Amino acid sequence: MAAKIRQPGWYRALAFSILGVLVCLALSTGLRAAFAVEPVYDSTSVLQISLLMVPLFFLGGIGCFDYWLRWASGRTVVDDHADHGAKSWRDYFKVNTDHKVIGIQYICVSFVFMFIGGLMAMLVRAELAAPGRQFVDPNTFNGIFSIHATLLIFLFVIPIFAGIANYVLPLMIGAPDMAFPRLNALSFWMLPVAGVMMLLSFLAPGGSFAAGWTAYAPLSVDAPIGQAFFTIAVQFAGASSIATALNFLVTIITMRAPGMTFFRMPLLVWANFSTSLLVVIATPFIAASQFMVILDRALGFNFFNPANGGDVLMYQHVFWFYSHPAVYIMMLPGFGIISEVLATRARKPIFGYRMMAFSLLAIVLLGFTVWAHHMFVSGMSDWIRIPMMITTAIIAIPTGIKIFSWVATLWRGVLKMDTPMLWAVGFIAMFTLGGISGVMLAMVPLDIHVSDTYFIVAHIHYVLFGGSLFTIFAGIYFWFPKMTGRMFNERLGKIHFWLTFIFFNVTFAPMHLIGVQGMPRRVSDYAEQFATWNMIISIASFVVGLSSLIFLYNMIVSWRTGPEAGPNPWNSLTIEWQVSSPPPIFNFDAIPSVVGGPYEYGVPGAVHAVFADSKPEPVAVGASEAD
Amino acid sequence: MEAASIPSPASHDGDSHHGPPIANQSSRVNSEVLGILLFIISEMMLFGAFFAAYFFIRVVSADDWPPGEGLPVAVAAINAAILLSSSVTMHWTDVSAKRDNQLAMRAGIVTTFLLGSTFLFIQINEYLHLGFTPKTSASASVFYGLTGLHGAHVVIGLLLLWMSAVRIFKGRVGPKNHRGLEVPGIYWHFVDAMWIVVFTTIYVL
Repeated sequence: MAAKIRQPGWYRALAFSILGVLVCLALSTGLRAAFAVEPVYDSTSVLQISLLMVPLFFLGGIGCFDYWLRWASGRTVVDDHADHGAKSWRDYFKVNTDHKVIGIQYICVSFVFMFIGGLMAMLVRAELAAPGRQFVDPNTFNGIFSIHATLLIFLFVIPIFAGIANYVLPLMIGAPDMAFPRLNALSFWMLPVAGVMMLLSFLAPGGSFAAGWTAYAPLSVDAPIGQAFFTIAVQFAGASSIATALNFLVTIITMRAPGMTFFRMPLLVWANFSTSLLVVIATPFIAASQFMVILDRALGFNFFNPANGGDVLMYQHVFWFYSHPAVYIMMLPGFGIISEVLATRARKPIFGYRMMAFSLLAIVLLGFTVWAHHMFVSGMSDWIRIPMMITTAIIAIPTGIKIFSWVATLWRGVLKMDTPMLWAVGFIAMFTLGGISGVMLAMVPLDIHVSDTYFIVAHIHYVLFGGSLFTIFAGIYFWFPKMTGRMFNERLGKIHFWLTFIFFNVTFAPMHLIGVQGMPRRVSDYAEQFATWNMIISIASFVVGLSSLIFLYNMIVSWRTGPEAGPNPWNSLTIEWQVSSPPPIFNFDAIPSVVGGPYEYGVPGAVHAVFADSKPEPVAVGASEAD
Repeated sequence: MEAASIPSPASHDGDSHHGPPIANQSSRVNSEVLGILLFIISEMMLFGAFFAAYFFIRVVSADDWPPGEGLPVAVAAINAAILLSSSVTMHWTDVSAKRDNQLAMRAGIVTTFLLGSTFLFIQINEYLHLGFTPKTSASASVFYGLTGLHGAHVVIGLLLLWMSAVRIFKGRVGPKNHRGLEVPGIYWHFVDAMWIVVFTTIYVL
């Protein structure tokens, strides 16, 4: 037992966590005694400090810091790659530095939170199935939709894109791993910490956080302690995404294979490059907004207290300066996935490759100029509205370029309408609809009319469900054979798509109508006139929920017993498909050389990358300029 | 740049067992240095958000500035000089590492660490004599928020310097192995530069 506690792992994590609680208890009572605050023991204070510090003890216990601490104490550190690769399923529950293992850890944990967050959505729809009170009281309802949004944004959409990219991106650019494998592991392990913390808020005295995923001050400052679970969990999720983004940027800049110039990179790499720029620049703003909330809550600061000169609107400005770019953080990696799937399954080069890359960068730049369009009814200065309306309309242009190029890629292609392709094509249609309602919302008069109605709910779900989630499913089906070495069940995949696609629309399309008619969002009750539509929406949403069980069944059974997929079932040109499925532990025996573009489908004899050991032609090996 | 056309399978530390292939260096920038620079961009944005709070509370809401009876500008200026001189000694440490001057390196890192600690000590002492707390007003919150955020970064910087110092005193830093000093050094220069901005906006303007 003692030996087990010394080794990094779950026993040590548990022991360290208990130790952490004791340290926080001592810290809280000690400080309160030193500053003569009565009473000396205050459970809220201990809880608040524990939320900040116990996760660090847990991460230390599980083994995220061992290597660095050994290094910092000046001892010899040998990188023997002992914590690289997974030999059994147990290794997925340990700190691992292999980007492929971390990628799968990310994806599985994100899906766990997708199912929990999806269940919350089912509860919301059950409550809203009929007017009046069904199952939960209004405060619990507020908590349920808040956790639904928070989990699906911070613990599903953002991290699962990081997970897919974690697995695929180093292979795509011909790198043996990420630039900072241990930082990569730390980024992953902060996620379950954040997610569990959010869920634990249900047990907090006074109930879970219930201020929505936006957690506007001063509501979030005055709310019971459950709100602190959100405030602090978001810090861990944010730190995780900043660390991953930094890792992606350094990997893409410094570890590309010889010959892999920026304009030979697959668009998934471009998409993650752009997303990572957004994360590195924008995410500190949400960290800051939550720091200010913690300071106001715990130490009596006055950032959001108008009585003492504070500014409530400042929260919204700082929050949306992150959270508007965040919607692109939740979308751009999906754009990359769609480009990969479409080019491969339509057997055509991506139309306008360079414009696809530049439009990503344009979205990154413009994304920082539109935040106040979330605040048209907030009471901010009127003059800000018009520039924000114009920039918001402009940002539809680079997005439009991408939609146009995807459609042009499909044009006269040899379309193979299998599961990944169905999701990709479904994405284009649904995301266009969401984009159109987005441009409508940019218009100040319409936005004022539909603010805080179900029109907003419809829009956000068309872009995040019909948009992001469809790309996630496309990507998961597309790279499933690479990650597991096995093929999923095509028939079940198609059933999953059609059920989700149809009932997604039945769920969310009517919300536009009842929204324009004035049904308010985030309220557990509504007027009689909306009863019919709400019943239809609730039933349809349950079918969407059930269809995800088909996906779950398909993934688990195919992973265990699916037919062998072979290294390149989609006949793709990019590098990750040129190695075995699943790839070897260190990805390559020798780094491949890139000799052409990534999407030269339909060009006879086109090659993207060559391997020194498999292709004996001397041209392939020597001619690559290592820049 | 070395051409990594057919790298032999070997791990990073040169063991003979089968490890990952050596990654191609596709940029002249070192990955650790690039990593800390990107992290510093992130940190600048964190400060940027607190400066946004400063702007909204001082300009938009027009809360009384400065908080309390006026800030001790002279003390803060001396403190700024102390912190800036630590950047000079940090640079000296870095140069000495590249020249393999172990003695200068040790003297340099100790001086830098002591100057940084002095800054922190004076700052805390200033807090105790200001006569207002964050609870007093929103401007007071902004004052403590920005200087406190910077103080927290000084603490992180000192921790990193401590790690470098440990490695220096164990003789593990030299011309070929100075990343563990260079990277904390870059961060320390950032902490110092950020103080100029914080000092100017809080105490001078």
